[in-house]
Amino acid sequence: MERNGVRIEETFAEAFPMLGTRLVVTADTPAWVQAAVVSMTGFATSVIGCGCEAAQERLLSPDETPDGRPGAAVLLFSISKAELAKQVVNRVGQCVMTAPGTACYAGLAEGEPIALGNSLRYFGDGWQIAKRIGGRRYWRIPVMDGEFLCEATAPVAAGVGGGNFIILAADRRACQTAALAAVTAIRAVPGAILPFPGGVVRSGSKIGAKYKGLIASSNTAYCPTLRGALPSLVPEGVEAILELVIDGMSADEVAAAMRAGIGAVVALGAAAGVVAVTAGNYGGKLGPYHFHLHEVMA
Amino acid sequence: MTGVILTVRDPAGPPIDMAGVLPGRDGVADLPLLRGRERHRLEDLFAVADGGPDGALILRPGGAVLDNVGAGMAAGEILVEGDCGAHAGRGMRGGTLIVEGSCGAFAAAEMAGGRVRIAGDAGDFLGAPLAGSPRGMTGGSVVVGGNAGDRVGERMRRGVISVQGQAGALCGARMIAGTIVVGGGCGAGVGLAMRRGSILLPRLPAETPAGFADGGEHDWLFVELLRRDLTGAGAWPAGFAAEGIRARRLLGDRSAGGIGEVLILSGV
Repeated sequence: MERNGVRIEETFAEAFPMLGTRLVVTADTPAWVQAAVVSMTGFATSVIGCGCEAAQERLLSPDETPDGRPGAAVLLFSISKAELAKQVVNRVGQCVMTAPGTACYAGLAEGEPIALGNSLRYFGDGWQIAKRIGGRRYWRIPVMDGEFLCEATAPVAAGVGGGNFIILAADRRACQTAALAAVTAIRAVPGAILPFPGGVVRSGSKIGAKYKGLIASSNTAYCPTLRGALPSLVPEGVEAILELVIDGMSADEVAAAMRAGIGAVVALGAAAGVVAVTAGNYGGKLGPYHFHLHEVMA
Repeated sequence: MTGVILTVRDPAGPPIDMAGVLPGRDGVADLPLLRGRERHRLEDLFAVADGGPDGALILRPGGAVLDNVGAGMAAGEILVEGDCGAHAGRGMRGGTLIVEGSCGAFAAAEMAGGRVRIAGDAGDFLGAPLAGSPRGMTGGSVVVGGNAGDRVGERMRRGVISVQGQAGALCGARMIAGTIVVGGGCGAGVGLAMRRGSILLPRLPAETPAGFADGGEHDWLFVELLRRDLTGAGAWPAGFAAEGIRARRLLGDRSAGGIGEVLILSGV
């Protein structure tokens, strides 16, 4: 398939089941919301080394938040409920509760609950207060600028991790431009996040390594500098490759994000130095979700 | 299918005990009822007719005293087109009780769930425990459009009570948790021996409760959530401000080791 001079490979992105939750962080100003969310979603690019994958889903206007203040929706994913619970409590406790004026609410309506305020309440040292309002339970934890209001639990739901596509471009600048266009398009899709820095991965990985104990290593087949030295997937005329990894609350949302991202890339076209779009998979052995690029872009 | 309308045939006479008369129950006409010390068939005391919303029970007391209306109700809806006697909604676990008039003592006593809305006044012991019981209301919501008597929410464990008018003495006494909102203020002894929970008032009571520490004025974000929830249910007192989360907090009752709170809302 070719669109606007960009070749879209006949291959598929292979994704796998994850567990995810949505949290809503509010604060007195958008700046403090951002401070909390940036901190909370830091070092959350890959479950391989970070314990969870997380990013801001979207900003929320005051009329979209439970307390009428500026806010943001954040999605967090992990491979088990226990690990997700641990990551959520650590990140909310260290990065949201610590930020001035913040509050934290559950953003999913249904699902198995994990502790949120139910764990953090002990920080109140006995002065914390539970409050049930409208059928939902909150903890009010005294802190130095007033109270940290935090929902008692957050529901967890099935999600999809590892949706992806790979941009092959003539040079690094063209590749970054195309990737940023894709990031902008994907961030408008609800229910999906890009957990990597700026939404982009340059160090795509393959499973395993020549070194014992290393579970992942550089995706050498896509390293332009190694072309000719090993079986390479880098075509002639390509000097830079970037990957976008997408997590979502459902396969449909991941597919929608891929469609939006690839659409933005091909809109730039060959004239902007984009050569091809492909996707990463492991022959279908890693996960049950296969996003075939031609079907996604049909 | 429609609801059932029960109209009292003879309003004069002793109170009628309505325990067991619940929405959706079959054979209502044959239910045994006590009026004073005499046992009757329900149909002897009430004219029974079909009408009203599906599954609902509509009571027309016509001046008769009906005790135990909705007591123990788990589901459905009861509408009382008039006043209730004592124990309205006592021990309710679900459903909705709407009283267009006023209620006597012990309304919503030991209520565990559901909604009670009283357009008029409520007597003493609203949401309180019955004599000898350690727990008052343990869930659900109660809205009183008028005033309430003494000991509102005594020993309350969970749930919300909203009184649009005034409450009497000892409001929230020995409260264990939950939320009481009183739009018109309350009498002496507010929060006496309370352990946890919140009592929201428009102004300090005449006598500041002795066992409470005055923490000064602060912003309370949960008040915004509470206001939104109660406003949606028509239960946020009309006299309270429509916005703002600032309130003066009295923390106590410290003489009982409690960390409950009496919040005096600003801008009321």
